Amino acid sequence: MLKFSYCNATDLNQALVQCRFAGSFGPLSSRRRSPRAAVSCSRSNLTPIQAVLSCQQQVGSDPVESELGSLADRLRLGGLTEDGLSYKEKFIIRCYEVGINKTATIETIANLLQEVGGNHAQSVGFSRDGFATSPTMRKLHLIWVTARMHIEVYKYPAWSDVIEIETWCQNEGRIGTRRDWILKDVATGEVIGRATSKWVMMNEDTRRLQKVSDDVKEEYLVFCPREPRLAFPEENNKSLKKISKLEDPVQYSRLGLMPRRADLDMNQHVNNVTYIGWVLESMPEEIIDTHELQTITLDYRRECQRDDVVDSLTGPELVEGSKIHGTNGSATAITREDDLDCHQFLHLLRLSSDGQEINRGRTEWRKKPT
Amino acid sequence: MVATAVTSAFFPVTSSPDSSDSKNKKLGSIKSKPSVSSGSLQVKANAQAPPKINGTVAVTTSVEGSKNDDGASSPPPRTFINQLPDWSMLLAAITTIFLAAEKQWMMLDWKPRRPDMVIDPFGIGKIVQDGLVFSQNFSIRSYEIGADQTASIETLMNHLQETAINHCRSAGLLGEGFGATPEMCKKNLIWVVTRMQVVVDRYPTWGDVVQVDTWVSASGKNGMRRDWLVSNSETGEILTRATSVWVMMNKLTRRLSKIPEEVRGEIEPFFMNSDPVLAEDSQKLVKLDDSTAEHVCKGLTPKWSDLDVNQHVNNVKYIGWILESAPLPILESHELSAMTLEYRRECGRDSVLQSLTTVSDSNTENAVNVGEFNCQHLLRLEDGAEIVRGRTRWRPKHAESSANMDQISAERA
Repeated sequence: MLKFSYCNATDLNQALVQCRFAGSFGPLSSRRRSPRAAVSCSRSNLTPIQAVLSCQQQVGSDPVESELGSLADRLRLGGLTEDGLSYKEKFIIRCYEVGINKTATIETIANLLQEVGGNHAQSVGFSRDGFATSPTMRKLHLIWVTARMHIEVYKYPAWSDVIEIETWCQNEGRIGTRRDWILKDVATGEVIGRATSKWVMMNEDTRRLQKVSDDVKEEYLVFCPREPRLAFPEENNKSLKKISKLEDPVQYSRLGLMPRRADLDMNQHVNNVTYIGWVLESMPEEIIDTHELQTITLDYRRECQRDDVVDSLTGPELVEGSKIHGTNGSATAITREDDLDCHQFLHLLRLSSDGQEINRGRTEWRKKPT
Repeated sequence: MVATAVTSAFFPVTSSPDSSDSKNKKLGSIKSKPSVSSGSLQVKANAQAPPKINGTVAVTTSVEGSKNDDGASSPPPRTFINQLPDWSMLLAAITTIFLAAEKQWMMLDWKPRRPDMVIDPFGIGKIVQDGLVFSQNFSIRSYEIGADQTASIETLMNHLQETAINHCRSAGLLGEGFGATPEMCKKNLIWVVTRMQVVVDRYPTWGDVVQVDTWVSASGKNGMRRDWLVSNSETGEILTRATSVWVMMNKLTRRLSKIPEEVRGEIEPFFMNSDPVLAEDSQKLVKLDDSTAEHVCKGLTPKWSDLDVNQHVNNVKYIGWILESAPLPILESHELSAMTLEYRRECGRDSVLQSLTTVSDSNTENAVNVGEFNCQHLLRLEDGAEIVRGRTRWRPKHAESSANMDQISAERA
């Protein structure tokens, strides 16, 4: 059971919990579309495109404006695909998004994934007020929270490279939704990364996970492919791998990390991407200098508040013999099992004060390309 | 002095603060520039290397009023010295005077260049029609919004940094890495920023598109000034103005250097003759210490993501640290309206910093408006070595957007 403790303010402004459907959005006054209309969009028999248009009309956007799109929309270089079931957007890597390797950092990649997820939600008419929720979800006080994030990067883009990210979401289980991403280099067309994330619906008042009826789910599932479409279709892929909890004594640690003001998102919560930075803080320098991050998996357990102090712990992932990836004992070898230059680590983020677990994580590193 | 690898050039250094002002006021000030004899190439500044996308050369769309002699698709960066035949010097001089005059006029009445924007699909930016100003649009992304629900000051500074680099690149002035022109690379010289001044009139919010214009001017004999003007792409409203001062440093000896003639030849064609976009904040920045600081934040260390390609802390990160020790009540109820920074020293991965802040007594400062605060800042290493000295001004949030507040509360009802 995932537990989150948020501030209990009832003021609407304060009660905006970090929406995890595609990122965090605050109560911004939108000149383009009025964010809240308490009208339900129940249209399970409409095609996605029709659903988008009627949802937008319900939300009250100016029809002329939605035709032309705002300037930001036109400049955004992104949009729903023809069948309306996924969303693609192009991004150019900016100079300040590049790190010590002269390539985009994993935080940049994670930010862009979050951005494109949010733009997807917005393009199908979901609210821009910080929740990216459908109108019925808002009526029922339901919000999205991230449970797991898994990113694999095969080739990091460099400054001024243009990448295209495609994203879609799908049903997963009774309470879960999965959002997947595929990242491509526009110039070469090759896939440079994949990611998947799992989200659950939570009641923002009771703070408990909540199962929802099918027609509530239909409201957003109409925008999702019906046939299973997975960024990680292969069996026993690493996105499903269970992450063990790192036990004391740990080999590497960085203690006393605190959220900076710049780590807070619009809703004054610690941005999801900040956790990635914290996880990497306790990585040994000799790995950071010689290797680049190939895979990162994070399980979100508890949210960090702005006054919390966090310890970041890292230890090598112990493997049995040479079968590195046998979650269920099978010998399926996917990538780099026998490549001695590949390292795997387990991570734990916990509160300094009482040791409560915030995140647990798993990373894989490959030798930097020369 | 901070050697910044990322923001290279474009900021003239004002070693003598008043000299450039008086020079720039005259339209005929070009005559006093030493470079005019080498064939001022402002007219050629349009013929930039076409921006590369993912390593391939993209065909540039035509820029309004381009006056280059070459064709539109140009080969990679070239030196300017050997390009103009002598007879065109007269043309160049006349054109330059015209362009400078136009620029002066444009400074007064900045209009949004709407048609340009849709030609720039990837936001690479372009040198606009007068050949000296680089312009780029940014759409404010969701993760660039801070706890104040507006774009953070770090986001704005990142955009400034990005346009500076892109200006360099499109002008053919980017040597290897981000910090130097080709001639500078040969001489192991890099640009370092010494001073930065920013005034924010309004912060953009999520989904806004801002247009950032930037240009360079001389600053004294051996420095460069880079100015920026940030405006709302749709409305043309000016959001932010910034100016910065750069000097040249030898990266091996870490000593300051004069601008060598070869480098002068590279960069002076791009200098605008214009007034600084911001009146220089000439107030001396006070050095705080433990007894004068009201708020101290210790144990600040760079994260991996704070480092640039040279493993130095990116300039923009200092601002975040400076704000770490700003008193929370001010941060929550006020927004940063102006900032002046003096960069003294750089720091790297292993540095441990302290951030000190004092809220100034408003009586001793320039008169501030009701509800505004001034703060003094210092970022230093544990041993006391100064990294950055600064001053910030804060005004109450939403002071200008009372109209928006009504709209926000109506929408939430």
